[in-house]
Amino acid sequence: MIEHDFDEDFVPIAAELQRLPYMSPSRGFADRVISGIDRLQPARVAPVLASRHLELHQGGQQAVVPRRRMGVVRATGRAAVGVSLIAAAAFMFFEVDVLTAILAAASTQYAFAIAAFGAQVGAVVLGPETIAFLQAGALQAVLLYMTLAVGLFGGYAAIRTAAHIAKRKAA
Amino acid sequence: MTPKSYTDVSDQQVVVFAQEGREDAYRELIKRYERPVFSLIYRMVRDNETAEDLAQETFIKVLNNIDRYRPEFKFSSWLFKIANNITIDHLRRRQVDTISIEGAPDAITAERARATAVTVTSGGESPLEELESRELGASIEKAIARLRPEYRACIILRHVEDYSYDEIAEIVKLPLGTVKTYIHRARQELREYLGDLR
Repeated sequence: MIEHDFDEDFVPIAAELQRLPYMSPSRGFADRVISGIDRLQPARVAPVLASRHLELHQGGQQAVVPRRRMGVVRATGRAAVGVSLIAAAAFMFFEVDVLTAILAAASTQYAFAIAAFGAQVGAVVLGPETIAFLQAGALQAVLLYMTLAVGLFGGYAAIRTAAHIAKRKAA
Repeated sequence: MTPKSYTDVSDQQVVVFAQEGREDAYRELIKRYERPVFSLIYRMVRDNETAEDLAQETFIKVLNNIDRYRPEFKFSSWLFKIANNITIDHLRRRQVDTISIEGAPDAITAERARATAVTVTSGGESPLEELESRELGASIEKAIARLRPEYRACIILRHVEDYSYDEIAEIVKLPLGTVKTYIHRARQELREYLGDLR
């Protein structure tokens, strides 16, 4: 009870205010609130038994599961587009024959497909935490592959161009 | 420590468990304060759906920022502060300053008016006492509904939630003198509206 700091004529009103009942929100209010709390969502998708593993598990879920598939698909897509552009440029500027370009592009893309498949198998065999660690370098790996692909095509195109020039000079 | 029940656990301790990500701790905090927070908001906006939306927004905001809670303050004060801010912002947006005990001001149908009208419950009394109690409770609710929203928040926090003037000033983010003035004026207005009670 709060201290009496009002006139006597307010006492009955204060008493009535004290007696005002609490009102309740509708059923399921707590569930709706819980569904709006960001940090609890991953735990509800895949509940864990030990609370001390919760943060690690949530971190793993956030870092690995949603992003792993999207990351691999996105990287594969970008690599395919990149290789196609390089192949098209090589064909247009260096007159590389179409069959060679297609085969080279396909083999490069096949390497990414193997990488994607390996990531899926690895997730099952090694577990999400290990894959999360490995995928920390995924972007670097993509850049490395891209560099190798550019180098391969660049070198190949240079050799073909040199051979072409030499052939013209000889003719 | 992992309590099976939070019955004897203080708010501060429950908050610590919530900060660790325990869903049962979140639920405990909601269980403890859903009715006081909903009641405060309802008495300010006088609309069930709006009050529930604002109460939900309050809890989500508080619990999503539970890591920012400072244990030197009462958890309930922090919660009521957020609830008051959200409600006042809502009222400012909607410009709803005068409300009716018969229903929300935007209640355009009889069904909507019934849904938003104040209902006062009581228990453990004889039919006559219950009737009197309902009449008195309804009168108080009517009188509170006629107060300005700022007065409403202060008088409810003072007389329903038993907060000190200092705590109310902290909750409503107003100077202590302003809070005292608001409560004094709210009492005067309630006296006028409830003259029959004395």
